[in-house]
Amino acid sequence: MPLPIEDLWAVSPEIWLAGLGLLLLVLDLFVPSGRKAIVGWAAAAGLTLGLVPILGLVGVTPRTVFFGTYVVDGFAIFFKIVAVASTVLVILSAMDVLRGQTQFEGEMYILLTFTALGLSLMAGSADLIMVVLSIEFVSLCSYVMAGYFKADRRGNEAGLKYFLFGAGASAVMIYGFSILYGLTGQTSLYAIASALSGAPRPAVVVALVMALAGIGFKVSMVPFHQWTPDVYEGAPTPVAAFLSVASKAAGFAVLLRLLAVAFASAPVDWITLIAGLSAVTMTVGNLLALPQRNIKRMLAYSSISHAGFLLMGVAAYAGEFAQGLLYYILAYAFTNLGAFFVAVTVGQRLGTDDIPAYAGLGERAPALAWLMALFMLSLTGIPPTAGFVGKFYIFGAAVQNGLIWLAAIGVVNSVIALYYYVGVIRAMFLMPPASAGPVGQPAALQLALGITGLGTLAAGLFPQPFVTLVSAASLLLRF
Amino acid sequence: MGQLAAFIILSVVTLVSAVVVVASQNIVRSALSLIPTLLGIAGVYILLQAEYVAGIQVLIYAGAITVLILFVIMLTEHGTGARFRQVNEQVLPGTIAVAVLAALLMAVFFGTAWPRAAGTLPQYTATSIGTTFLTSAILVFIVTSFVLLVALMGAIVIARRER
Amino acid sequence: MDRYLLSITIFLPLVGGLIVLLIPKGQERLMRQVALATAALAFLVSLWLLGPFQVGGAEMQLQERYAWIPAIGVHYHVGIDGLSLPLVILTTLLTVLSIVYSWRVDVRVKEYLFLFLLLETAMVGVFAALDFFLFFVFWEVSIVPMYFLIGIWGGPRKEYAAIKFFLYTLVGSLAMLLAILLLYFNAEPRTFGILELIGQQPLARAPLLASLAFWGFFLAFAIKVPMWPFHTWLPDAHVEAPTAGSVILAGVLLKLGTYGFVRISLPMLPETFREYAPVVAILAVIGVVYGALVAMAQPDLKKLVAYSSVNHMGYVMLGVAAAAGAVGAPERAGAATLALNGAVFEMVAHGIITGALFLIVGVIYDYRAHTRGVDDFGGLGAVLPRYSGITMMAMLASLGLPGLMGFVAEFLIFVGSFGIFPELTVIAVTGVVFSAAMFLWTIQRIFLGPKNPRWAALPDLDGREAVSLVPLAAIMLVFGVYPRPLLEVINAAMASLVTVLR
Repeated sequence: MPLPIEDLWAVSPEIWLAGLGLLLLVLDLFVPSGRKAIVGWAAAAGLTLGLVPILGLVGVTPRTVFFGTYVVDGFAIFFKIVAVASTVLVILSAMDVLRGQTQFEGEMYILLTFTALGLSLMAGSADLIMVVLSIEFVSLCSYVMAGYFKADRRGNEAGLKYFLFGAGASAVMIYGFSILYGLTGQTSLYAIASALSGAPRPAVVVALVMALAGIGFKVSMVPFHQWTPDVYEGAPTPVAAFLSVASKAAGFAVLLRLLAVAFASAPVDWITLIAGLSAVTMTVGNLLALPQRNIKRMLAYSSISHAGFLLMGVAAYAGEFAQGLLYYILAYAFTNLGAFFVAVTVGQRLGTDDIPAYAGLGERAPALAWLMALFMLSLTGIPPTAGFVGKFYIFGAAVQNGLIWLAAIGVVNSVIALYYYVGVIRAMFLMPPASAGPVGQPAALQLALGITGLGTLAAGLFPQPFVTLVSAASLLLRF
Repeated sequence: MGQLAAFIILSVVTLVSAVVVVASQNIVRSALSLIPTLLGIAGVYILLQAEYVAGIQVLIYAGAITVLILFVIMLTEHGTGARFRQVNEQVLPGTIAVAVLAALLMAVFFGTAWPRAAGTLPQYTATSIGTTFLTSAILVFIVTSFVLLVALMGAIVIARRER
Repeated sequence: MDRYLLSITIFLPLVGGLIVLLIPKGQERLMRQVALATAALAFLVSLWLLGPFQVGGAEMQLQERYAWIPAIGVHYHVGIDGLSLPLVILTTLLTVLSIVYSWRVDVRVKEYLFLFLLLETAMVGVFAALDFFLFFVFWEVSIVPMYFLIGIWGGPRKEYAAIKFFLYTLVGSLAMLLAILLLYFNAEPRTFGILELIGQQPLARAPLLASLAFWGFFLAFAIKVPMWPFHTWLPDAHVEAPTAGSVILAGVLLKLGTYGFVRISLPMLPETFREYAPVVAILAVIGVVYGALVAMAQPDLKKLVAYSSVNHMGYVMLGVAAAAGAVGAPERAGAATLALNGAVFEMVAHGIITGALFLIVGVIYDYRAHTRGVDDFGGLGAVLPRYSGITMMAMLASLGLPGLMGFVAEFLIFVGSFGIFPELTVIAVTGVVFSAAMFLWTIQRIFLGPKNPRWAALPDLDGREAVSLVPLAAIMLVFGVYPRPLLEVINAAMASLVTVLR
């Protein structure tokens, strides 16, 4: 039975991204050594144009294509938008960092483009094999990008640690998937859903736990979070930004689809399991972030704790506040990218990633410092920022679904988190500068910072358009 | 009965060789031990009546990949003489964890009533694999090619010396 | 024009603040002028509100309601009544006087003025908000500028005080968020509107959830008020904050907590509040006595005034708790109304009086003696006659001398509470004795007695300081002698509240 032609329209974003990647490969051949930024701008432009086919899919009736291995619904489209937009912003921020640091500048942009393709595939995978493949795709690109600066010992450690850990986690996950296949004889998530309802409980639990190992690694869930601080610290800062937002978001897409579709009627209470993991992840991430003096490590532990909050949204994914998870991802994307971009700027201009080095930034680069303050407040969840609306939604979803205890733990964690976020604000505004002189930013980075800052504020002050976006997206295709 | 014996022998071969690959201090011995590991898996494939996959496993894994690794070792300066002392301070907790996990998995697997699907094996597995790749698994097939492209690019980026 | 008057009052300071941000560095004088003009204009606009406001009206006036996040039923809904209008005017008044006082601040003037104006918008917004989401947003927004004000322009231990303030307040706020969500999800139909929820009483039939919600709100408001034992952030924050910051902190921010009790806890969870009213009242009385006694022992004048705030807020909370204790008992409605009237009057009175007291401390500390030790002074009455006159008036008002505002408030509270919690009221009255002793002793140490030669050449109040202090002194006197206009405004709202609680 041949492939119906409409299926190709359903993957037009992926076709665009793949074609863009190949085009950039060829372009990189012809661009001379010192002018590789052209490839970067071309990548950014191409990815921005790539939003057109994605938005063209909006409103299409949700369905599976490619013989049930791939799905097109509002949920997948939302994550594709997040993936592509994050990639564009990261490329903008990376241009200054890569120049002069490595001869493989063009390849980084190409890798980022292909990773965007992988993330899109993750968002729409509806088949176990497709899930594994797309996760591996993204992981492979990420391993390379993490260890990109070969002269840096921390970078080597980051890349190697990420690779070994990721390979182990993937192996466990595939093993879990094989158990699922053994129980149902199917690889399509939708077919598995109906077959799992009568399956024997112990095997399903084992399969679920093992699958969580691999996906938990991708989203930095405790106890699979150990790689995060070392990798974020050692990788180039734009790559750390990318990992913390884009691959985490896509990981959550896969997690939710797996749980809400495949395990929907399974004889295992994954909601309580996820709720428990959420509580542990939030707390561990926060407590370990408190003593950090390196901003990238601090942001790494902070992203672990935010993964905990997102898990709260996964556990409470029912009712009108279910879209809270998606809003939080959007808010978190803007905010965390912005925070990392400020770290990129300071790392480039002041040559350090230590939080005490941010002292006096309020006087030396006021716009940058106030933006960072905005991002820190948004991560804590103080209005009128996007982070507050996201937390509000997630707490609301938790309360609505009877997980008041989890919301209370989330509240306590928000207060603990304030301490280390305010530490950055304190350094910037309350401490005298270590050296004088303004801190400039390159144009591309300014653009990226502006977009993220604007997004953080806009989604906090005028949430309605974003809410409409995520409510349309929260309709997950379930049979 | 014969199948069970064959499976046990193949598994032992695979696992022992795998441990040698990881734990050996001599890198050439490590690489060579890959061959019985991969051939053992090919044997398991044959037991599962997937002859085509077994053939590909021998050709590509045990053949091309292992040979390539040996070439790399040979061409690396001082490659063949490299000795690595593997230090792992957590051998004991690791072994305990693995043993517990193995016991747990065995308990679950032996206690589960695995469903038996009705169906017939295709006459020529190669044909059916080919058909699958061009119909129901076509997206998987195409994406795999991109994964290989990216892996190639990534390998070059990592391995090539910075000027 | 009248339709948008309230929104103009709320957002005018923010607009002014943004204008100040745009003024380039180096033109500090222009910045101060713009900020002062904005604050003065905001004050006049808030007075203008009195025009269309009907003094005897019982329900919310000058309401504005626009959809903000329709998907979850959040509206931009603001309005004022007899409870919030005096507090709004108090806010704008204290802000403009603080900006006058802060004229000589010369470190990072732009941020200072912007933060003040942003803070003003947030505070007025809290008093005017009639939608829980909006209320929460304004509540939280008010924390951040205060953190910066304490942390950047504060005293020697500013960082510690600032972070302590932020952490404490955030704990309470987030507990309140959970309480709000509990109310929302139990409402039929789901809404965040405060007035709608008061009408619906969503948790009336779920005592466990109602208790949880009550304690959530209680934590947030009790930390803000501050009630004993949640008051430990206050001395540090008040002492380390710059003078104008302390004025706003004591004068307005503390009122956010008491306002919350009266506007939210009392009408929305009346039965639950009545159940726990004795506990609240006991904590209030402990605050009264504790505040006064500890204040007496302070060698630092600013800390003394800070602890006196704990004492005064105890009176307010006694009045509120007494009104809560009278829920469901119609024969006590009169006493409850009296107590509530007194509580709200004390909110305004305390704002004026303690605002003045902090300005007074600032005058002597910032610009003259650079010390706050009560025992360092002596005989200042002869050196600084005008300053002594105003200070003595403020301190006498604070201890509740008849003829000044403080007495009216305390009298009403005691008469009202006596009908409901007689034993506790008696204990609270002893607090008056202690605070009288404290302030009289302080007056004696600072202004009377032998002249301390160190301060023989200090200049008296100059024009700017007089402009910031004299209006407050005048108000203390006028409303102390003729409280009727203010009481009428307050009484209409409180009477209707008590009727709802019957």
